[in-house]
Amino acid sequence: MASTIHDDAVLEIEDFSVDYGWGEGAVRAVNHVNLSVRRSRVLGVAGESGSGKSTLVYAVTRLLRSPGVIAGGRARLSYDDPRTPDAPRRHLDLVTATSGELRDIRWSQVSIVLQSALNALNPVLRIGREFDEVLKTHRPTMSRVQRRERARELLSLVGLNDDRLARFPHELSGGQRQRIMIALALALDPQLVIMDEPTTALDVVTQREIVNELANLRARFGFAMIFITHDLSLLVELADDIAVMYAGNVVEWAPAHDLYHAPRHPYTLGLLNSSPPLSGPRRELVGIAGSPPDLSQPVSGCSFRARCAFALDRCSREAPELRVIDESGRKVACWLQESVTEVPAPLRRGVRRDDAASVSPEAVAR
Amino acid sequence: MRMLARRLSLYVVTAWVAITVNFLLPRMMPGNPVQQLIGKLTGQITPQQVHAIELAFGIGLNQGLWAQYTGYLHQLLLGNLGVSITLSSPVSSVLASAVPWTVGLIGVSTILSFVLGTLSGALLGWFRGSRLDSVIPVATFFQAVPYFFLGTVMLLIFGSSLHWFPVLGAYSPSVTPGWHWAFLASLVRYGELPVITIVLSSVAGWMLGMRNMMITMIAEDFVLMAVAKGLPRRKVIAHAARNAVLPSVANLSLAIGLVVSGALLVELVFNYPGVGNLLLQAVLNEDYPLIQGIFLVITLTVLAANLLADVLYFVLDPRTRTEAAL
Repeated sequence: MASTIHDDAVLEIEDFSVDYGWGEGAVRAVNHVNLSVRRSRVLGVAGESGSGKSTLVYAVTRLLRSPGVIAGGRARLSYDDPRTPDAPRRHLDLVTATSGELRDIRWSQVSIVLQSALNALNPVLRIGREFDEVLKTHRPTMSRVQRRERARELLSLVGLNDDRLARFPHELSGGQRQRIMIALALALDPQLVIMDEPTTALDVVTQREIVNELANLRARFGFAMIFITHDLSLLVELADDIAVMYAGNVVEWAPAHDLYHAPRHPYTLGLLNSSPPLSGPRRELVGIAGSPPDLSQPVSGCSFRARCAFALDRCSREAPELRVIDESGRKVACWLQESVTEVPAPLRRGVRRDDAASVSPEAVAR
Repeated sequence: MRMLARRLSLYVVTAWVAITVNFLLPRMMPGNPVQQLIGKLTGQITPQQVHAIELAFGIGLNQGLWAQYTGYLHQLLLGNLGVSITLSSPVSSVLASAVPWTVGLIGVSTILSFVLGTLSGALLGWFRGSRLDSVIPVATFFQAVPYFFLGTVMLLIFGSSLHWFPVLGAYSPSVTPGWHWAFLASLVRYGELPVITIVLSSVAGWMLGMRNMMITMIAEDFVLMAVAKGLPRRKVIAHAARNAVLPSVANLSLAIGLVVSGALLVELVFNYPGVGNLLLQAVLNEDYPLIQGIFLVITLTVLAANLLADVLYFVLDPRTRTEAAL
């Protein structure tokens, strides 16, 4: 279960809320989210644009820019201090951490890869300088030669020749740049690497290569990952667990394969039906009607109600809470799961999506 | 490198056009300016002066325009700019004694203004919305006041009334010019007020430009990444500033032209023995060969400064180096 404190947790996000703006005009972008990432595990966070998935990780890492403010909650990072390897694991609440404490754990414990590597690399610096700078800041005892050697080693990890170190970002392809960002993210052996849609700006073939490489690198180095994307079929290959976010709430959390094959929240089902399957027969893609709610308007009841094909009367009155529904630890925030009789076929417990594929949500609703 | 070579050839062409215009202008003047000038100088004119005037205007030489033009270019290559009518000495030597003063004064002020404005602009941009922002209206006020007016006011207040700074001239009349300490100290002392004037009235441009670019840069992903990498704040600011300074460097080349013309007036106010003062004298005395020489020097200086800024930009922004291949 995600919210219990595990000894091997790297990051535990508890009751975490983020607002944009202050006071009366504040808009709730992330609403009381609980999530945790365990050692060497991959947590996938999926959702549409505006679901709060990126806001969540930027706020947790304290990189969120004004007017974004953390409205409450904790984000506990657990790590072994490389300077005192024998000491017990250290814990740091990122929400209350001082800027000095944050500087200390940034990149050495938590690194991040952004969607566009072209924008993430300083355009006027050679690639080698990016590596050199990170190593120089966090490993002041390393010599120039050692730093160079480490940069070469990192590039070879992502399959790049070390002549790239002398290049400028604009001289490289999109795939090469993203590989460099990944190599850079691993430079200090962090416990946690956050990937914010790292493959979205790439073509499908490069996307596939990068996802495979990430899987290999994780198996080899054992870092934990938070992987943010809107592409659930990509996520299922890489993630151990997946959290689906909608309008600032986690609406479903489950082990990746369970979630992929047997979604229990209508929104998850909609997301899955709107992207092509990785293998198997072709099927018709169905989008989710409507658009995400305007977060500045207060919503009564479930925020997905207006777009939900299965909405009940109850959904307009009360907002469902995230509840554990089965022994796998799966959690869903949906009233449909509370009443056995009313669960529509594709969302019914024990039913796999593939079996129920012939039953479209529209058909069920009618 | 190709890019730089292309720019260089552009400058050669521009210089050639400027020289040609400089040659043609006096020859296109209506009437007979030579007779007028000779008339004005009646009684105190030497045959050399008459020859100098004739050369400058291309009158009474019994030469075709083309022959005059090639002759002019040839003399120019030899460093011969003709003879000043009023001073009766070669224009080149008159200029040689005035140009270092202007280049020194304007060079120092421009660099100082650029450095100060850019650094403060970078900080203002990073700490935008803080109390530091109150510097902006003050700086903008000085920007809005014309150079010569500000200079006059400064002279009146800090020179004549308070006697904080020496007034008029480039160095104390009691020291002899040369490479020794007393002269250099006097040079700095006398230069302070004009330099402060120029810096005050030009710094706001650099400051605001840099501040605005900083604010744009701060929104960039690579600045966010610099924070995410746990770099100290000073290095994060450096990441943003390194990119934000590029447009300022490009503007530097444009600004130098304006600074040259603006600073000419400052020289008049402070009675600085530079090109500005020389130009005023030359215009008052209708000393055409000298005016021509001064224009040529100003044009070439602006071109050289432009080239320098281009080279600097080329060095600072790696992207311009590959754009040449497009």
